[in-house]
Amino acid sequence: MVVVRRRWFQTPWEFRESSLVAALTVVAGFMLQYATGQGLPPLHLPVNAVVLALFAALILGAGLWFRENTLVQWLGGIPLGLSLIVAIALLSLIGGVIPQGEAMPGSLSALFGVHQIFSSWPFALSILLFLVNLGLSLSWRLVPFSMKNIQFILFHAGFWIALSCGVFGAPDLQRMVVKVDEGQESNLAWSMEHETEQQLPFSIFLHDFSLEEYPPQLFLYDPQKNQPLQERNKTTTTLHKGVKASWTDVDVEVVDFLPSALPGKDGVPEPAESKAGVPFAKLRIVTADAAPIEAWISTGSPMMKPWAVPFRGLYFVMMPGTPKAFRSDVTVRGESGQLERATLEVNHPINVMGWKLYQMGYDDEVGRWSKYSLIEVIRDPWLPAVYLGFFMIMAGNVLFFWNGIKQKEVAS
Amino acid sequence: MIFDFNTAAKAAIGCWATGSLLSLFARRTPALKLAALMLSFAGSLVMVGFIASYWSLLDRPPLRTLGETRLWYAALIPLVGFLVEYRWKITWLKYYCMGLATFFLVINMLHPEVFDKTLMPALQSPWFIPHVVVYLVGYVMLAASSVTALHNVSLQLRSKGNVNGESVSHYLALLGFVLLSFGLIFGALWAKEAWGHYWTWDPKETWAFLSWLAYLGYLHACRYKIDRGKLQWYLALSFLVLLVCWFGVNYLPSARNSVHTYTQS
Repeated sequence: MVVVRRRWFQTPWEFRESSLVAALTVVAGFMLQYATGQGLPPLHLPVNAVVLALFAALILGAGLWFRENTLVQWLGGIPLGLSLIVAIALLSLIGGVIPQGEAMPGSLSALFGVHQIFSSWPFALSILLFLVNLGLSLSWRLVPFSMKNIQFILFHAGFWIALSCGVFGAPDLQRMVVKVDEGQESNLAWSMEHETEQQLPFSIFLHDFSLEEYPPQLFLYDPQKNQPLQERNKTTTTLHKGVKASWTDVDVEVVDFLPSALPGKDGVPEPAESKAGVPFAKLRIVTADAAPIEAWISTGSPMMKPWAVPFRGLYFVMMPGTPKAFRSDVTVRGESGQLERATLEVNHPINVMGWKLYQMGYDDEVGRWSKYSLIEVIRDPWLPAVYLGFFMIMAGNVLFFWNGIKQKEVAS
Repeated sequence: MIFDFNTAAKAAIGCWATGSLLSLFARRTPALKLAALMLSFAGSLVMVGFIASYWSLLDRPPLRTLGETRLWYAALIPLVGFLVEYRWKITWLKYYCMGLATFFLVINMLHPEVFDKTLMPALQSPWFIPHVVVYLVGYVMLAASSVTALHNVSLQLRSKGNVNGESVSHYLALLGFVLLSFGLIFGALWAKEAWGHYWTWDPKETWAFLSWLAYLGYLHACRYKIDRGKLQWYLALSFLVLLVCWFGVNYLPSARNSVHTYTQS
């Protein structure tokens, strides 16, 4: 067999030409980034939707009317697709290694957009060309339609929709934070991205903020090393009545535990149901060379100093548990006066008037005694389109999985 | 403590080791075959039992820390080896798989973790288990695919044809890719509920996207008349990207602001 060496740009174009074009796209992107000094200008609704629709129509038109054209065939072919996957992967690699968002102004890496790689020109151009490639290959499977192609169509169309709507819709995403004090109402939101304050079309009234903690833990703390000593079984000791712990030659038993209490008149803690109550534990400390000691410890609160037990230059201390759940009891009032009462909690956002409200944070310094709540408000009009894409990808994948298993039977 | 990780781990490793030995002897004495399989299988069963008891003791799924995810790999990877033997009559993969599982358990024995019941609020979601389990099974498939590909490469170097082995690494990669896609999308849907946006280019997300692209590239290269035999190197090395995604990310400069740096207790 005579091996004929392909010349550069000999039709049909193959991997060599595709890699070159992908590389040139990235280089052109970096040059544009350097020249303009910023990423893409953000397009908002309805302009971005119109541009996206035209872009889609253009791809579909080119794919269907010029499907015999060698250039169009190459544009929608696997060699270019693979080269662009590599280009996008390499750009993502930059984003995956170099910290994003923190650039030294004027530095070379900042000028080329390396710290904002995902909103930079090279990334945008690669994604656009990738959408052309993906869209063309899709158009050929869509027309003429055949059920045989359904898995291909679901996966590729889903990916096209999710990617294009995610990219084109990004400027329309609004993310802001509302700080509300207990018993107060607010409609002012702070945008961290733009560092501006903005009025919302609704207001939030905070009835109550509450925080639930995991049970507190017992530590033997070394003030000189500023760290706790390791317990003999290398476990943490969660406080409850009857629990035992040991450090080298000292054994400790929790003889009493009050989850919510306050010091009584004689200084002995008494159970208290009020919000000011803090956990108390009575320790029995036993060593070989001295009589057992019994003493109370407590986490304390912003109103009360923690109680610790000194022991051979060390301290037995009670550390508050980490937050288990925190929630805000709110009423949202729209511009036309409609009211909606709801409880916000992490992982349980609510939908109000086209916005999504999230429990975000609170006053970290005082934890469960926080007098305010931080609520994140988010609007993303493009979300349904992106989700449609996600579900199409998943449906395509189910078929891919199924066919993969079926082919396996044939293969064996 | 009522349970003891070290005992369970040693029992599992013991089962795998004696199972593997018996299985080697079974080449001459086929009567040993069943006993060998039962013993190897028992090793994974021990780990499954341990995970179940650990789960009930923690009051939360043991999927929060890296050490906890290693428990699952240790239990599941040998099962893929047995499945491949059953399906394709390929016997050698299970030894690699049991070896890998042993490796994970030894890491856990050398780095005992503090027993901690707490689960931060963001992780208390119905998406937690599907997201992590889909990824776990996907990684297990891709680990097996990578090991198979490596074996294929070594056969190629000794000029031995091996079409069956190439189809095993291919189908494992295909199934793994499907599971990666699900993991990625489940993660996005969860992120929308917990953090407000489905995609924020968090370093872990970026690396998950990268590993997804790696296998997407493989599948398209396969589709485009590139000889599968030549892609075995690629498949073997793709798993390295997954390893970076799984725990390497924690050591990268970009990880400082990640929501995915598992709690280092």
